[in-house]
Amino acid sequence: MSMNAKNILSLMAVAFLIGCGKPESNQYEGSTVKSVTSDEEKAKFKVALLTPGPVSDSGWNALAYEGLQAIKADMGATVDQKESSGTKIADDMRTYARQGYNVVFGHGFEYNDPAMRVAKDFPNTVFVTSSGGGTAKNVGAFRFDLEEGFYIAGYMAALMSKNGVIGSVSVQNYPSIVSTLKAYAAGAKAARPTVQVLPPVYFGVEGDVARARTATQQVINQHADFIIHQANAAAQGIFDACKEKKVYAFGSNANQNDNPSGIVIGSAVISTKTPFKELADAAKRKVYVGAIGEYAMINNAIDFVINPKLLDKVPADVQQKVRDLAADIKSQKIVVPKDKF
Amino acid sequence: MEFLPLLQYSAPVALAAMGEVITERGGIINIGLEGSMLVASYFAMLACYVTHNPWIGLGAGVTGALVTTLLFGVFAIYLSADQVVVGSAVNLLALGVTGTLFRSKFGQSGQLLSVPRIGGFHGVDPIMVFMLASAPLLWLLLRKTGWGLAVRACGEYPKAAEAAGFSVSRLRLQSLMVGGFYSGLAGSYLALVIAGSFAENMTAGRGFVAIAMVTFGRWKPQFALIAALLIGCAESLQYKFQTYGWKVPFQMMIALPYIIALIVLVLVGRGANAPGALAQPYRKEK
Repeated sequence: MSMNAKNILSLMAVAFLIGCGKPESNQYEGSTVKSVTSDEEKAKFKVALLTPGPVSDSGWNALAYEGLQAIKADMGATVDQKESSGTKIADDMRTYARQGYNVVFGHGFEYNDPAMRVAKDFPNTVFVTSSGGGTAKNVGAFRFDLEEGFYIAGYMAALMSKNGVIGSVSVQNYPSIVSTLKAYAAGAKAARPTVQVLPPVYFGVEGDVARARTATQQVINQHADFIIHQANAAAQGIFDACKEKKVYAFGSNANQNDNPSGIVIGSAVISTKTPFKELADAAKRKVYVGAIGEYAMINNAIDFVINPKLLDKVPADVQQKVRDLAADIKSQKIVVPKDKF
Repeated sequence: MEFLPLLQYSAPVALAAMGEVITERGGIINIGLEGSMLVASYFAMLACYVTHNPWIGLGAGVTGALVTTLLFGVFAIYLSADQVVVGSAVNLLALGVTGTLFRSKFGQSGQLLSVPRIGGFHGVDPIMVFMLASAPLLWLLLRKTGWGLAVRACGEYPKAAEAAGFSVSRLRLQSLMVGGFYSGLAGSYLALVIAGSFAENMTAGRGFVAIAMVTFGRWKPQFALIAALLIGCAESLQYKFQTYGWKVPFQMMIALPYIIALIVLVLVGRGANAPGALAQPYRKEK
């Protein structure tokens, strides 16, 4: 084989390998992104979701994906999902809008600014981001008040902590994450003013289970005996480190009480299905008005669930205090502090 | 600071870096190291999840990495393709394949998995011992054996090696596969000892850090090990510093190990010579 032929073959093979690589989007049944070619296609209700990380994270991104699937199942929508971050966000939003998508969800604070820029050029597409303060006629945001769940977790941790020290491990210091961690600290101080809440520790890399575990070990070395996380796919590293040192952890975003580590004593939970469906329905009926939708305990979008399998580890009076606190937050007798972002 | 957790935390980068030393001394830079580690992590976890035996997981992980490395080798050595391009393609392929397989097996929303780990004696596991023994063994292999001399010749001046009767392609493939074996150990160790789990892209750049450690370690296995331990130590310490609540952006803390690496490279890097024919495809003269 001549050298030129070898080079051409190599390049073709490399192109093939790249082609086999991670798909730009998940191509589920009926959800492949295509050019709008027919009136029938145009008539379909189409919803896209952009996430900052893989939807297999059993946490923040997985929840949004479940919301998207609920829209597909209950509304018969054509759906598509794609990971998108940084400068790609605006491009991906434009691509979906050009392809006739009626709603584009951006699952995070960082999608709000690009949505505001892109939305001007696509008045027939609704752009909605999970948190973020910018709104326009066709731009809005969810505001999941997960702070309420974190506040209760902090409250419970402070009541139960033997060392009087609690901590947290998270992937990044996004404003939405920082706000929940502040609420965790506020809840702890409300229950026990002398409790020490260690400064948040961030490990920086999405999905890095090993870094999450090492960061948690360091937090435990500072005597923390209750740890909450905002670690998404890397959460298992945190739970395993807690299990090794026999300290308790809290789940977040999803209900992680069933985690095999057996040390998740409670979870601060977001329910995304209802908000996603409500919003998609408004867009489909063309009555959507850009706004910031608050989703909290009062409308059953946020919850705090004590692990039923570990109820015997939680003193009865603590259980009662947690239930009372949840009721007070739900009735808005107690207002949990939240950052504006 | 406890030494054993540090050794454990640093092991994936250290193992991959020591293997990559052998690969690079043969003239190949395996940019696909990250991908082969990720493949190893996935298959190690999967086999362990199915069989509940971490040693079978280890075997599956190493096999996965060897196959991935062989794929890289076919293109980089036998088809003389650009090693950086092929390595990047292998990384993308590994990310896509492991992500797709993970979601098809454990659902689109994934699972937080916990699989049986490779046990140890008072925190010392067999792979950790192997890692520490590898530094002198690989040094001996490179410096005191005929094979090591021939591999180094392939990395420095492959035409001379060919003229001396060695097959450059075969020797480069052998040195690459040694690196592939170590990347398999590294990825499996990450999944089966440190994490006891798998998440998409869980290697999180460790393959690239390992390649940097080879330069940091001046293409010597013992120094690559020390470099990986130093970086691991700095990284572990920065988490402790974060709990002190210093008014320093956490991104600066996370960058700390790499800042240290750069400073050390500036101070000790002078005179460090990369293999002369590193990353240059070898085309046998007809």
